[in-house]
Amino acid sequence: MSDVTNSDTTSHLGEAAEPGETMIELQELTKRFPGQEAPAVDRLSLKIPKGEIVVFVGPSGCGKTTSLKMINRIIEPSSGHIIIDNEDVTTIDPNQLRRRIGYVIQQIGLFPHMRIGDNVATVPNLLGWDKERTRERVDELLDVVGLDPRTYRERFPRELSGGQRQRVGVARALAADPPVLLMDEPFGAIDPITRNRLQNEFLRLQGELQKTIAFVTHDIDEAIKMGDRIAILQEGAKLAQFATPEEILTNPANEFVQDFVGTGATLKRLKLTRVREVELTDDALTGREDEDRETLRRRLAESDWTAMLLLDREERPIRWLRTPDLRQQQRPLTEAGLPARAIVEPQATLSDALEEMLLGSAGVAIVTDGRGRFQGLLDVDDIILAIQTMRDTEAEFYRAAKLSDPDDEVSA
Amino acid sequence: MSSTLTPPDAQEVARRTQARDEDAALGRRARRARIVHYLGMPLFLLAVLLALYLWVQGQELDSIEARTITLGTLLSQTRQHITLTLYSTVVVLLLAVPLGIFATRPGTRRFAPAIIGLGNAGQAIPSLGLLALLYYLFRTQPALPSTGTFPVVVGLVAYSFLPILRNTMVGLEQVDRFVLEAGKGMGMSQRRVLRRIELPLAVPVILAGVRTALVLNVGTAALAFLFGGGGLGQTIFSGFQLRRNVVLVTGAVLVAVLALLVDYLAGLIEEKLTPKGL
Repeated sequence: MSDVTNSDTTSHLGEAAEPGETMIELQELTKRFPGQEAPAVDRLSLKIPKGEIVVFVGPSGCGKTTSLKMINRIIEPSSGHIIIDNEDVTTIDPNQLRRRIGYVIQQIGLFPHMRIGDNVATVPNLLGWDKERTRERVDELLDVVGLDPRTYRERFPRELSGGQRQRVGVARALAADPPVLLMDEPFGAIDPITRNRLQNEFLRLQGELQKTIAFVTHDIDEAIKMGDRIAILQEGAKLAQFATPEEILTNPANEFVQDFVGTGATLKRLKLTRVREVELTDDALTGREDEDRETLRRRLAESDWTAMLLLDREERPIRWLRTPDLRQQQRPLTEAGLPARAIVEPQATLSDALEEMLLGSAGVAIVTDGRGRFQGLLDVDDIILAIQTMRDTEAEFYRAAKLSDPDDEVSA
Repeated sequence: MSSTLTPPDAQEVARRTQARDEDAALGRRARRARIVHYLGMPLFLLAVLLALYLWVQGQELDSIEARTITLGTLLSQTRQHITLTLYSTVVVLLLAVPLGIFATRPGTRRFAPAIIGLGNAGQAIPSLGLLALLYYLFRTQPALPSTGTFPVVVGLVAYSFLPILRNTMVGLEQVDRFVLEAGKGMGMSQRRVLRRIELPLAVPVILAGVRTALVLNVGTAALAFLFGGGGLGQTIFSGFQLRRNVVLVTGAVLVAVLALLVDYLAGLIEEKLTPKGL
């Protein structure tokens, strides 16, 4: 599986990333549960490219979990086909199939009567690996998920915390090095701080492993964070939109997606844009600490600005000064006015900048370069303007892309 | 500087010493609890037997009493009693556990009500009535012995069927379904999931049922002598019919001691067989 590791396809910033080779393909997959009028999943067709995380997200009851569980046939499809690595697996022996697919569920489902090592060794044991190889693999995997094998191998699941158990769950799923991983709300039952850490660790791990992953969540933020692509599902697992997180945020396909992404979409979009990508106010009024007080005062009075930013000799912002501050003679300039807060660097996201503004109650963020030299100002209006421009240009971009390529997989 | 550190250090040492003492005290308490746990019941039962012995020794026994209460008779009756209990428990295990598994499998779950109904019927009929009924039934079948160990064991099996059946079913059904889903999702066959996950996790509950069945059987086996099965019931009923209270009490106390002993031993086995990690 390592020959196709096109890094662009896994990049969050890759614009309209070209899908690589397909690893999982769902064709017209349908599930009807007995006694239910409407199908839970209705003719879902979807291609998951090799090495990518595709997140299934949608409101509860939309059929996302059912769709996921049909891939390893924990739920048998009523009709349709599942193709994994160019092989139709819809009718092969389900046990053989499942040994090739890692499976992680929210409830983890560790075997409480087996030690951690034996839990992780489940699939290697099923595949008949010899003891030595299994043991080495178990230790390696516990290491990979950040659990010291010597400490944890012989413990029982109940002796571990929720986060540790989920790590073991991931290690168990990876045990036989399956090319495909199915994850059903894997971090859903974990406290927010641990969840965030596990998500980051998992993304780092995925950077090395390049597994093909189908991931279910109901949390759009998690989807945006984890997904190379997001499949937003409506009732009956109808595909409302299948696209990169960027496109879903900037260019929701319909009202449903817009509603689901929610009013927070703009805020979420801010996490994907960096300060250096937007236009700064670079004509801000500045003064230098070695300049004369009177000169500074006159400059401020002649400008449209109500305050000026005082820089030190290295051009690093230090204070905000208003006219009264400059009239006062007693205090040195470096202690007059208000301290310059909310300082961000160009690689910070707009979300970071906004947070700094709110924290510093400044209404404006000061952008400095790597050495702390003043570069410009960013205020709330700039951020709003930036979002609008991005939205317009990207909408145009995608519209153009769609017109030129009618078979684009976005329509799925 | 160093001198100012002395008081906290001293405090620290005192604190640690105290903590160590507390740990040691906890350890002693835990050890004592374990001793009581393992030895309490056998010592109590020994004390009861000793008291019974002394009490009987202190009585003026007439010839009938002296003939009934001999060590040889009592020992052989106890052996019969244990044999009946063990046979019936083994047979009921062999029947009720597989049936319990059968009644919880997805394909055959629909038979569960019928199977439970059977178990219920076995227990609902009073044990004496059940034994009498079997006696009557077996008498019409020349191939089957209508008295002796066989019909009594059949009766005991019917009577203790329900607790083991029900506990097997409950034990299997209380296994976290996500644990089963994880097993299935990793490619374990149904049989392997049953053998490696469901049964080990159901063991504590099944064994609790076995324990109940054993105790029930010790009690019910006291009726066995009525149908030629022997056991300590013989002593109890002789005492009753002959109005010899010493005999009656001796038999009754021995049955009670046996029931408590069996319960204690079953508890030890239960503890031993319960998987670690639960």
